[in-house]
Amino acid sequence: MAQLQTVLEVAPRSAGSPKRGLAPRGEARNLGHLYGREGRLFDKVDRRQVLAWTAAAVLGGSSQARSASSELRFGLTPVFLTSDLELLARLKAYLEKSTGFPVRLITRRTYQEITALLLSGQIDAAWICGFPYVVYRPQLALVAVPVWQGKPLYRSYLITGRDRPANSIDDLRGDVHAFSDPDSNSGWLVTATALARRNQAPDTFFSQSIYTWGHRNVIRAVASGLAQSGSVDGYVYEVMRETDADLVGQTRVVARSDLLGFPPVACAASSAREPRTAALQSALVGMRDTDQGRAVLSMLRLDAFSIEPPSLFDGIAQEVAVVRGAAG
Amino acid sequence: MTERSIPLAIKLPVVVTVFMAVVAAFVSERVLVRLEETQARHLGDLATVYLDGLSSALASPVVREDVWETFDILDRARQTNAGLKPVLTVVANTAGRVIASSDPKAVPSWSELPSRFLHQGAATPAIEPRDQESEAVARVDLSTGGQVVGSIHAVFDTAPLLAERRSVLITLIGTNLALTSVLAGVAFLVVRRMMRPVGVLAGHLQAGADRGVEPIPASVIERALKEFKRLYASYNDMAVAVREREEWSQRMAEDERLASLGRLASGMAHEINNPLGGLFNALDTLRQHGERSDVRAKTLDLIERGLRGIRDVVRAALVTYRADEAPRLLHREDVDDLRLLVAPEIRRKDIALAWTNGAYAPLPLGASPVRQVLLNLLLNACEATRFGGEIRFSADVDEGQFVAVVDDDGPGPPDRLRSILESQANFVPRERGLGLLIVQRLLTDLGGSATVHPSPSGGTLIRVVVPLPSEVLADVA
Repeated sequence: MAQLQTVLEVAPRSAGSPKRGLAPRGEARNLGHLYGREGRLFDKVDRRQVLAWTAAAVLGGSSQARSASSELRFGLTPVFLTSDLELLARLKAYLEKSTGFPVRLITRRTYQEITALLLSGQIDAAWICGFPYVVYRPQLALVAVPVWQGKPLYRSYLITGRDRPANSIDDLRGDVHAFSDPDSNSGWLVTATALARRNQAPDTFFSQSIYTWGHRNVIRAVASGLAQSGSVDGYVYEVMRETDADLVGQTRVVARSDLLGFPPVACAASSAREPRTAALQSALVGMRDTDQGRAVLSMLRLDAFSIEPPSLFDGIAQEVAVVRGAAG
Repeated sequence: MTERSIPLAIKLPVVVTVFMAVVAAFVSERVLVRLEETQARHLGDLATVYLDGLSSALASPVVREDVWETFDILDRARQTNAGLKPVLTVVANTAGRVIASSDPKAVPSWSELPSRFLHQGAATPAIEPRDQESEAVARVDLSTGGQVVGSIHAVFDTAPLLAERRSVLITLIGTNLALTSVLAGVAFLVVRRMMRPVGVLAGHLQAGADRGVEPIPASVIERALKEFKRLYASYNDMAVAVREREEWSQRMAEDERLASLGRLASGMAHEINNPLGGLFNALDTLRQHGERSDVRAKTLDLIERGLRGIRDVVRAALVTYRADEAPRLLHREDVDDLRLLVAPEIRRKDIALAWTNGAYAPLPLGASPVRQVLLNLLLNACEATRFGGEIRFSADVDEGQFVAVVDDDGPGPPDRLRSILESQANFVPRERGLGLLIVQRLLTDLGGSATVHPSPSGGTLIRVVVPLPSEVLADVA
């Protein structure tokens, strides 16, 4: 069941009612400024993004016309497992059939690379994490959010070796700790927030932090003993408990976070109103209505994709604020 | 001595076993040495491929000291490596600290490189087998741009190699043991089968000495190998020839007895005929001048002496040849009587007979067999002696034994004489024996013996000794 092991984190649209679809470009820019106040990084990216838009504006409709006529480029982050070709093939086939566009699936090693492609307009949409979505909320718009176990929500787990008697994050002080990705909500932000609330930072609380660039790798690192504990996506962990019981069996959950917004499919705010984006949204939302779509959902162990408000990710935004505050 | 006493059926299998053991030891040693070399080369190749494969992937993560990526590469390499497996792989930086290992629980990151690994730098993969620990440790330095940035260490489990070597050794020993015992057994059976005809032949030859020569039965010959069939056939030819000769010899002995009897009879007839002529003359004289008392008395005396001579001859012959006669004591006169029996031969050949007969009391010996023995020896001596020769005869009792000596001046004892007379076995003479066979048999019955010596006169001296029964020795003495 390795086909389940790809979580797609797609940039959602920014503001407005999910029912109304994607926010217009201007609105997104405004929101970007609004959220940009939250940190220096945002300002920087925002400036870069503004430059990109400026360039697009100078070049006029030609680039837009070209992109409109070409394929639908859909980015996937390697949160789960990127090597399941069957899942990728089925997803591609479903999306092509449902949207009517030729689809190209694009995978990269890190969240950051996919986020940068999305922000720079080189891909039309991507399945990203809630954390980059919150950070770049002004420039992004939600397309759809996966529904898992009946809710568009998931948790982050703190895990450790099977035989270790630890009951909370406080017992993990001094560990070699495995994070998934510095841009991952469940694989970094949740733990960093918990530490920030204790006036701690990962660098000081843990003896060493390791980035494994994937939730599966966090489990491998903890199971092998390379790391004594790790921060992992609860959805990935639960699915792997089914598909990779031997590996997961060597670990145990120390703590579960509150429910947070599930990694969404997002697009650049500027392209939210384009027909391709709308086609993608309806394809995702309608996935559970066709056999082909249900097969993909079943491989992903998801119930459906739904349209959710950006407020779904307010919890993650609060975490960002806590971490930023602690850092500041 | 020992060598001769071990049968061939044991000796050959032992030689086969020793030979096989030497060959097996040599072959096994070569096989194991070659196997060990092959395994060492195989292990070296494997270690080189494994470490070289890792070093290209690991250079960059080691420079960055990226624990996860280093571990990820080691972990994936372990998963994909089939066959002879590295049980532990460790990557260390130049300071000798572990960046990551394939088993972080045993060798955690940032610990000191354990001492079991090679600490000597190795630009190309170096491998050190440690058979006691059933492992081999390998090392290669990681370098990028000519600069050493760290080292990769791997531990290979060589237990399967050692087990393979052990199993090869056991197989070799088992195979060689089985082969050796099979060959030794085959050698034993083959030799025993090959030697069986020799045993049959030996048995027949041995039986031949005791009970007479028997041919080998046709059923045995039929089963024998070609070479032994020929051997058996030759033996049977010989056996038949021996039998024929035996029968012929017996016939000859009988003929001889008849011949000697005939000679004796003719001598006796002569002995009787001589006085008969005188008796007839005496009868004529009586008829013509019977009225003269002096002539009558003289003539009757002549007739009486002639008849007494005839009576003596007849009596001697009767005593000598009546085998059914009841045994009686040997009187010295019985011996003296023999002079009468050989007298015709003595006269015929003009032989001088020197006769000595001791003054002994009658002896508890069968008179008949003793007389026949001595008569035959005397007749034999007459035969051997030339015309006008001399024969010396003596008989007496000496130290509880009756001893008689017949000494002639003939051409000396022929070999066959000694072989017949002195033989203890039931010997069959090849040539005409002149009654010697009878002598030998009679002497055997009497418990006596005859020895043949060269005579001082150049002829033959035969000494006959017959021990007297012990209970009468006192009387005789």
